[in-house]
Amino acid sequence: MKFFERIAWLKLDGDDLRLGLTCFFSGVLLAIMTGPEGNLVQPVYAFQHSLFSSHVWGFLIFGVLLAAASIYRRKVRTGVIRSSRTVARRKPRAWLSDVVFSADLTTKLVTGVIALIAAVIIADFTGPFVPDKMGFHQIFSQFSHTRTYGYIAIIFWLLNAYRVRRHPKTQSTRSPSFLGSPGAMIVGGALGGLLFALCADPWLPVRFSFKYFALHGPSDNVFFHHWTTYLWTLVGLMVGVQAVNKKKAAARPASSRVRRVRHVKVSQNTRLALYGGALFVAVEMPKFISPYWQESIFQQIGIFCLLAIGLNVVVGFAGLLDLGYVAFYALGAYTNAYLTNALPIHPPFVLNAFFSIPFAILVAMVAGVLLGLPTLRLRGDYLAIVTLGFGEIIYVLASNLTSITDGAGGTGPVGSFSMHIGFAHFALNGLAITDDLNFYYLLLAFIVPILFLFNSLNHSKVGRTWAAIREDEVAAASLGINGLKYKVMAFAIGASTSGVAGVLSSVKLGSLFPSDFALQVSIFVLVLVIFGGMASITGVLIGAAFIGWILQYLIFHSFIDYQDADKFMYLGAILVLTMIFRPQGMLPSKRRQREFQDSDAGLGSADAMGTAPEGPLS
Amino acid sequence: MASYFVLGIFTGLIYSMVALGYTLVYGVLRLINFAHSEVLMSGGFAGYFFLRFTMHATHISTPVRVLILLGGIVASGAVGAIVAIAIERFAYRPLRRRNAPKLTYLISAIGASYFLLNLAGKEFGRDPSATAQPITQSFSFTLWGAQITAFDLVLLGVTAVLFLVVNTLVSKSKVGRSIRAVAQDAETASLMGVNVNTTIASTFAIGGFMGGVAGLFIAMSSNVDYNMGFTPALLAFTAAVLGGIGNIRGAMVGGVVLGIFMYVPIYWIHQPFYEPVIGFAVLVLVLLFRPTGLFGESLGRSA
Repeated sequence: MKFFERIAWLKLDGDDLRLGLTCFFSGVLLAIMTGPEGNLVQPVYAFQHSLFSSHVWGFLIFGVLLAAASIYRRKVRTGVIRSSRTVARRKPRAWLSDVVFSADLTTKLVTGVIALIAAVIIADFTGPFVPDKMGFHQIFSQFSHTRTYGYIAIIFWLLNAYRVRRHPKTQSTRSPSFLGSPGAMIVGGALGGLLFALCADPWLPVRFSFKYFALHGPSDNVFFHHWTTYLWTLVGLMVGVQAVNKKKAAARPASSRVRRVRHVKVSQNTRLALYGGALFVAVEMPKFISPYWQESIFQQIGIFCLLAIGLNVVVGFAGLLDLGYVAFYALGAYTNAYLTNALPIHPPFVLNAFFSIPFAILVAMVAGVLLGLPTLRLRGDYLAIVTLGFGEIIYVLASNLTSITDGAGGTGPVGSFSMHIGFAHFALNGLAITDDLNFYYLLLAFIVPILFLFNSLNHSKVGRTWAAIREDEVAAASLGINGLKYKVMAFAIGASTSGVAGVLSSVKLGSLFPSDFALQVSIFVLVLVIFGGMASITGVLIGAAFIGWILQYLIFHSFIDYQDADKFMYLGAILVLTMIFRPQGMLPSKRRQREFQDSDAGLGSADAMGTAPEGPLS
Repeated sequence: MASYFVLGIFTGLIYSMVALGYTLVYGVLRLINFAHSEVLMSGGFAGYFFLRFTMHATHISTPVRVLILLGGIVASGAVGAIVAIAIERFAYRPLRRRNAPKLTYLISAIGASYFLLNLAGKEFGRDPSATAQPITQSFSFTLWGAQITAFDLVLLGVTAVLFLVVNTLVSKSKVGRSIRAVAQDAETASLMGVNVNTTIASTFAIGGFMGGVAGLFIAMSSNVDYNMGFTPALLAFTAAVLGGIGNIRGAMVGGVVLGIFMYVPIYWIHQPFYEPVIGFAVLVLVLLFRPTGLFGESLGRSA
């Protein structure tokens, strides 16, 4: 009883109970999710095992702490606990006084600190680090494991503190603390990240890490021996300095206005510099990493990017959902296999992979139009399920039509790219590890023009029409826009991009197995598009690169009990969470973001799913 | 021929149970519930565990078998309903509160589906395993050359009873009235004092119960597998469209008709893997020529 009296000042009620339970069970769910993989012979044992393995306690504690933080936050909001705003006013010399101004920020910081503590606890509870295949850190295993969590926690904490702004009323005149200035924070974060990258080899496979030096000596380091490095650096610096100068000049008159932190207007020059820098990284980076990472990171990410920018046309630009995207990928790949004579049926003429690309585009596009025309006349959501079915059908046919596709056993070797024009000779052996870099550059040679093409398409009449259809299909139709035509066009463009990606990756795969074209690929590409930000090409690319990298990273550095087969669990969760909390994605396109906001306010629809549901349903 | 026909009918009954979930949710939300396949899967797993823990003895008398079967039906139906409600609560309601565009619902649902699918794969393993069989396999008779087993009869009985119950529930009861009101116009219904959130949750629960029971029957007729829901759900959606989406009786008939359409051609082509292909072809043809389905859309609007 005394206990209850003691906590009576918190005035706990049913909502608190619900909140606490939700948080606690989210900890339990995390524990179950990350527990060991079960089997049906001993499912109960597996479940118990997962519940009682050590790291689970970390998550349970995390759940409890989260519950406490949430209840605290709620109490602050409802005014039961005095907000620390008043505390900050009374004690202006507190070191966080520039940071802690609103109750919301306080709680953010509190949750950040709790995340930090929780992470340390989790790190303490979890078992030893799984040594990676390079065998670098057997000695530091426990340390680096702990460190990983520590860094995750620090990132959380920084994210929490990110939206630091001065309180509008008190307007402290003191100079902002280190955390108070976003610029300082970004710089600090970048420097910290660099240091981190140099010291901690598990994160970056880059050869110039300190550890690599220690093991192999500097002679292997090619970074400073390549002339293109200097060239690029010079160009980048020049463009960058110019851009920064211009931006400063442009920003000066506006400095009297209160600047908003979240919408930084990027000038044309800065943008060019960013693009140049990105291209620089994309071209140069792969040279300095080990062949394993060249293959697994850059080539896979290249294919992912190509697939994602194609699907982005359908999901992002046109606002349609295509769940059978992999079917067109498979069509492209099998078209290439057919034309390079890798299937049991023989083509009338054998081509090299370069020349089968137009055929692949044609096949994928025709399939897309045939599928899209009847479906898109109806509601947009029918497209989703019809494409889902189509993807499954292609998979079933590829597995079972043994006389045409060789079935599950896989096709013969698929022909590769080669070209001999005058003096220029280019021949690629998709399977040879020595040609990995060349394959990557070939991919890049496809991706960059397609990027430009789609970007200008988005800013052309077609792109504006897609936006019009997305925002209000009825109004667009009343202006004489043939919605069906543009929807089918977007769908067919997406399909043909997927076909091209199919040809490229069929060369890399060597021989095709139906399991490479399962539905999961579609979902995966969808996650890439959604996570980065639909309709935002930059967002999609960075999202694809990030997810591609993190999945590869997790293979080496098992996150708790992560197994490769689990990735779709997490990707599914990413889809749901993104849709709930940030439907425009991490790096949204401005227009799409505004559409989602308008849609939340009851204006427009932000998709092309036919007529919107009548009125709010809640 | 006749045996394929009968096989089609009885497989179709399972599809019609699943199709009901699609149709009901479509009626109130105007959305295809992409996560319905996982309702099926969880119902299948619930049935699997229930039967595993109850069917220990080697000789079980018939009344006990009946009880076990009923218990299995209730267990898998209940788990299906709970999972469906959870899907609604976590993947749909936050979006509904925001009046989000339809695209986000579909993406959120497919995400929830993949999450549940792989969570089951992780917790229960990724290999299929056989379910204990409470229905006797020694009994069967032949009707016009087609063999009909006790399993088929039980399936027919259960489906008939459940459909009668759901039909009565939707057309007669208070919950059913509010479901129909929300299906017609959610906003007006809420003004008339209908609790829209509860109604939508109960719609998911009814569809989820049927889906869970269908999952049990799929588990009993073949195996349980974390991936077991996908193809039946796709075909059941076809059945719902075939019958006219939003139409409860249409779902029933659509499932059976689709089953017949799918299995009778197998008699000639002898390639069982073609059945989803045929089902998909039916879907495209229906959308092409009669998008409102055989019976039209009664709960929803026309296309």
